[in-house]
Amino acid sequence: MKAKVGVYVCECGPNIAGKTDLDEIITYLSEFRGFGDVELVVRKYGFLCSNQGKEYLEKEIRDLGLTHLVVGACSPRDHDSTFKDVCGKTQLNPYLYKIINIREHCTWVIDDMDKATEKAKSYLRAGIARVLYQSELFESPIDVNPDVLVIGGGVAGMEAALALAGENRSVTIVEKNDTLGGRAGKLRGFSFQEFNKPEQVEKLIETILGNPCINVFLDSEVTSVIGFLGNFEIEHVSLESKVITELFCGSIITATGADLYETTEESGFKYSESDDVYNSMEITEMLSSGDEITLRSGKEPETIAIVHCVGREELGYCSGVCCTVMMKTANMIKARYPDIRITQFYRDICLPPSGGQELYAAARSSGVNFVKVQSTGLSGTTVKFKEKNGDEGEQFFDMVLLASALVPSKDTPALSELLGIPVDETGFFQEAHRMTNPSATTTDGVFIVGTSQGPRNISDSMLFARASAGQILTKLLVGEKLVPEVAVTEILEAYCTGCGNCLDVCVYGAIYPDEARGISIVNEAICRGCGNCYGSCPSGALRTKHFTNIQLFREVDEALR
Amino acid sequence: MKDKKEKSSNSEFTPKVVGFLCNWCTYAAADLAGGSRLEIPSSFSVVRVMCSSRIDHNLLLTTFFKGADGILVAGCHPGDCHYGEGNYYARRRFAQLKKVMETLDLDPERLELVWVSAAEGNRYAEVVSDFTEKIRKLGPNPMNSSTRF
Repeated sequence: MKAKVGVYVCECGPNIAGKTDLDEIITYLSEFRGFGDVELVVRKYGFLCSNQGKEYLEKEIRDLGLTHLVVGACSPRDHDSTFKDVCGKTQLNPYLYKIINIREHCTWVIDDMDKATEKAKSYLRAGIARVLYQSELFESPIDVNPDVLVIGGGVAGMEAALALAGENRSVTIVEKNDTLGGRAGKLRGFSFQEFNKPEQVEKLIETILGNPCINVFLDSEVTSVIGFLGNFEIEHVSLESKVITELFCGSIITATGADLYETTEESGFKYSESDDVYNSMEITEMLSSGDEITLRSGKEPETIAIVHCVGREELGYCSGVCCTVMMKTANMIKARYPDIRITQFYRDICLPPSGGQELYAAARSSGVNFVKVQSTGLSGTTVKFKEKNGDEGEQFFDMVLLASALVPSKDTPALSELLGIPVDETGFFQEAHRMTNPSATTTDGVFIVGTSQGPRNISDSMLFARASAGQILTKLLVGEKLVPEVAVTEILEAYCTGCGNCLDVCVYGAIYPDEARGISIVNEAICRGCGNCYGSCPSGALRTKHFTNIQLFREVDEALR
Repeated sequence: MKDKKEKSSNSEFTPKVVGFLCNWCTYAAADLAGGSRLEIPSSFSVVRVMCSSRIDHNLLLTTFFKGADGILVAGCHPGDCHYGEGNYYARRRFAQLKKVMETLDLDPERLELVWVSAAEGNRYAEVVSDFTEKIRKLGPNPMNSSTRF
């Protein structure tokens, strides 16, 4: 069948029509014979994205029996999907259409009308040349499982589970420890923003356990994850009975929390377990349990040192939460024991949450001593420090509290491998995009919340949990099918040598080896079509379906004509 | 010899520059430059790809063989890749290709890899103008037209 390409140029009001000679373009293209035996229909229209414009285009495709469509208009970021949808209503496969960005890349950036006209011709030629080499692609919707797995039953995990269960989603929580609640559970109501009353975490746990939509597995670990958004197959094992349970879900929320940095002798912190040195978790547990603050000897301390930024230099990042915790701690101690003398050794004070500054002011006014230092170390409960001006000093205290940094939990590397989600330079899970998509990951359907993603406080952790739940609720709809990306990559088996280069470079783990046949296979449900594997293939076996070499070469040819 | 002749008339020479732009960052920056009505040399042609990592040696060399005087490849800033780390792979492949270009007597300066984010419309316009000007000074692609295809 002879190709019949429709080329429709949108006037876009004065944006295109006022900056180019459209009639000249139409005459030129209609008479252009560079595409071989192809019939060209070249027309212009006022606003193609208007309802009338879309109807006009739809009618033209049908009535003229177009085999390919080129629309010269604005950026594909604005209206690619608009015209794709128009094609979808007709006999024309939407992948045999191409939008050409005349407005943003030509008429808006080239002042000279003659030059803009020439440029528009060149871009339109490139579009025609390319579209002739595009092939039909078919979207095949797949069934999805709307259920959700939450790994980790701390406040972030529980909050996400509750938000989902509120919409009647089936949620399974797999928790490694024998209780829900995580770190916040241990704090038992130590005055954090969201947990002013002691029973808050307990209440959350009770609600979770009483919710018929939420299934909880304690003492359990996830051991296997296969699949992709909408269809994951999970195995988790009970750490006690070693019984393996299989479950199916459509998405996964990772809420595995963080650990506290452990000091080392090499970094100048030398003390033993019998010394009165406590980290932030230990002191807050002591405070929130309502017990007296006592030394190991049973006596009440007279002096307490708070050492900030423990691990910050070694780790290379600020945890951003420890200062707030320590201000609260100092204030609580001062409120209960006004006579205890507290000294805080700090490098910078970082108090991002609302109310943080007030905590600092309260600590100052209650007589807490602040010493700005360059570095700190410990020998028993003697704090060694180097002041801002370089002077070195040391001071004995009855008790020392360490504001230790938050570090990725020990399970992070294994989970990273299991879920196929990367970690960033700090070792925490990496988000899909720090600014625009902070709770998703590069693996579709896998989300990260709470401190598994980086140090953050309880309210932020819960906020991210709700954000992830929201994304799942809008992305995985009950009863609706998902349309996976079809402009993906395929491997031509005849050329594949099974070298595995593509496997190594694929960020999504979309390529797997078929060892029996000695080749690599693309799982098209996971592939996103970035084309990275293409550049790694030494034998030319890869084909990026909607960005093939011949398609790009034809664009280049016309650009250079 | 033909090259020298062409080089001598550099002032009238309009270089053909092809820009392979990443869909997520630089293509959006180009749109922003358009929206801001900045000026882009009319000899600069945009080819959209999904990721800078899609650009392989074959595509670039063929584009030179076809007669491009310069090629600009632009992607997301390191760490910002829509696909995680595609731009790192692109960078690595570029380092290799520059060596290959030397052996082909093609000045590696004719090829440039830059990072331009979706918010950097101004920078996009600057990068494109500066690169086009650099290529204008370098003169036409010395590959004889008979070796082109």
